Amino acid sequence: MIRLSQADHTFIEQIMAEPGGENLLTCWSCGTCAATCLVRRFDSSFNPRLTLHQAGLGLRGLVLSSSEIWQCSACDACYPRCPRQIHISEVMGAIRSVAIREGFHSPGPSALVDEQVCSGCAVCTRVCPYEAIDRVALGEHMVAHVNADKCMHCGICMASCPSGAITLDTFSDTELVSRMFADGWLGQPGYLDGGSTIPRILVFVCQWSVRTDAELQRVYNLGSQVRVVNLPCSGRVDPAMILTALNDGADGVLLAGCQEGECHYKRGTLLGRSKVGLLRALLAQAGIAQERLAFVELGAFDRYVLSGLVQKMLHSIESLVAAAVLE
Amino acid sequence: MDKVKLAVYWAGACGGCDIAIVELGEHLLELAQVADIVFWPCAMDFKLADVEAMSDGYIDITLFNGSIRTDEDLHVAKLLRSRSRALIAFGSCATEGCVPGLSNVRGSDYALERAYLEAPGTENTQGMLPGRASNLPDSLHLPGLRPQVRALQDVVTVDAFVRGCPPNYEQVWKAINQLLTEGLPRSGERLLGVDPRSLCDQCPRVRIGKIRVPRFKRIHEAIPDSEQCFLEQGFICAGPATHAGCSAACIKANMPCRGCYGPPEGVRDQGSAILDAVVAGFAGQNDAAIQEALASIVDPIGTFYRYSYAVSLLNQLAEHRNAQPEAVAVHAEPKR
Ligand code: SF4
Ligand code: SF4
Ligand code: SF4
Ligand code: SF4
Repeated sequence: MIRLSQADHTFIEQIMAEPGGENLLTCWSCGTCAATCLVRRFDSSFNPRLTLHQAGLGLRGLVLSSSEIWQCSACDACYPRCPRQIHISEVMGAIRSVAIREGFHSPGPSALVDEQVCSGCAVCTRVCPYEAIDRVALGEHMVAHVNADKCMHCGICMASCPSGAITLDTFSDTELVSRMFADGWLGQPGYLDGGSTIPRILVFVCQWSVRTDAELQRVYNLGSQVRVVNLPCSGRVDPAMILTALNDGADGVLLAGCQEGECHYKRGTLLGRSKVGLLRALLAQAGIAQERLAFVELGAFDRYVLSGLVQKMLHSIESLVAAAVLE
Repeated sequence: MDKVKLAVYWAGACGGCDIAIVELGEHLLELAQVADIVFWPCAMDFKLADVEAMSDGYIDITLFNGSIRTDEDLHVAKLLRSRSRALIAFGSCATEGCVPGLSNVRGSDYALERAYLEAPGTENTQGMLPGRASNLPDSLHLPGLRPQVRALQDVVTVDAFVRGCPPNYEQVWKAINQLLTEGLPRSGERLLGVDPRSLCDQCPRVRIGKIRVPRFKRIHEAIPDSEQCFLEQGFICAGPATHAGCSAACIKANMPCRGCYGPPEGVRDQGSAILDAVVAGFAGQNDAAIQEALASIVDPIGTFYRYSYAVSLLNQLAEHRNAQPEAVAVHAEPKR
């Protein structure tokens, strides 16, 4: 039950005074945003409609102390679908600005920089889709510093840091590598090395690009030929991990990410496909079959396509061997 | 106190590493007070037979520069390993294969053909190719080329590394002093003559930190500004993925870093790390723009792996591929 006494009109005014917050009260509470939002796939308590509604009622304490206001990644999947044309991520941003001013903080997790290793190269400050990282002075050095309230824990900076100075609790390097190698799946000669009798491929999947568990299940159904490693974002992939997998017995590596324009972390998918693009150019130059590495994009309206794409890669690797024998 | 016995050798190298030692200048006199040079073919009159005559462990410290390119390089590497208490990989060739290692991309046969038959300005009407072991008159023997260039630690145990192409002479002096005062290192224990962190830490250039570029230029295509970070101007700079130690020599000459000091500590594959740093700065907002940025990077191996190809994950993978044909014929039938 909401008591009228809890309503604080100044809260509404504060939000509406922030850039992007103007549209707070135009929401119809239709819930289209909630039906669209991908965050709900992993956290059903997240409901942008409800947050907007509560903010519109002026429930300052409830809204500012909630964890929901920090969860919107500004992917803007809901924006084109909102019948009131509310830029919901901007309203969320306006609420966050008020929260930060009043001393509230994101519950995290957030990326953390090892200041003894960081060289202040500014690679991470450039790569972060949220401009959450800045360089600050530390004695005579300049080092990166993450603004935890802006960090959406996409892990992109962790993959990008050339010094390996960044860590994040979720999807850490150790976690990803141990999932790649688990149960001896890697570390044995692959099909192309004359070991395994069938091709085996490693599939890195951006967790947001796959809309349902059923889609993933079809990939799991392909059996031990395929190892799936979830990523927070296709931009989280580290080129050294791909090369390691190919060296340690994976015949192919597939990276699945969101369709252009649909990335949950704004530009992550572009980083993922850029890394794969450059790695493919390197493979070609080194005389290694490019078929062994591919980026595939999954659109919001794609259904049950991933398993087909995985099979296509398995077949193209088989054809590589057939072609080599014919030569 | 007995003087330290010091040896310097050059294998598949350009000679720059020996110059880096000569560049010590007056320090060489100080060095002569505490060390006897027992072998240094580039600078003094020693023969391989002198080393063969030594007992195992006779030499205290060997600074070994150059890659393992020929059969002779391999032979001398093994010989010096047995004769030396501490074997130091000196310079980028010995540490990671360096520029000679790039010939692994196409292999030694191609390298010979390119250099002795095809290269512009080459006149070789008889089509003579060196590089295969051959005995010449007067009992001269030419060693053959190895199929792949190797770093020193890929053929023998190495005790410590001095990075750089060539190592900066101040760092050389620092490394020698470390060796003389801190005791001899054991098997790959130490990187000598480097500074902590990656090069960017020592780079004086301004970084705005949020500038992304639509494509990359090569250095001959434009004159870079001398104050601003190369990456933010659209020139590929390997600084973020390169160990500090050179005191930003190239940067100060208005040339981007190409990575000769090797990867930062704990980083396995320098090329991957440079690739990460470059991709991070792509401005493109759609696939077409990304393709344009990718296309602007000519010669990706030469750009990302200029010094480290021979020890890279990529070269390792390419070697798998070359070893493959007989092995896979076993299950040639495609399975569905
Ligand atoms: S912008 Fe994206 S994350 Fe934010 S509420 Fe809308 S759909 Fe959800
Ligand atoms: S990318 Fe790594 S080394 Fe460079 S500034 Fe960021 S944390 Fe520091
Ligand atoms: S994890 Fe993502 S959002 Fe957080 S600082 Fe790194 S790049 Fe930015
Ligand atoms: S990337 Fe190059 S130019 Fe930029 S700060 Fe690092 S070393 Fe300096």
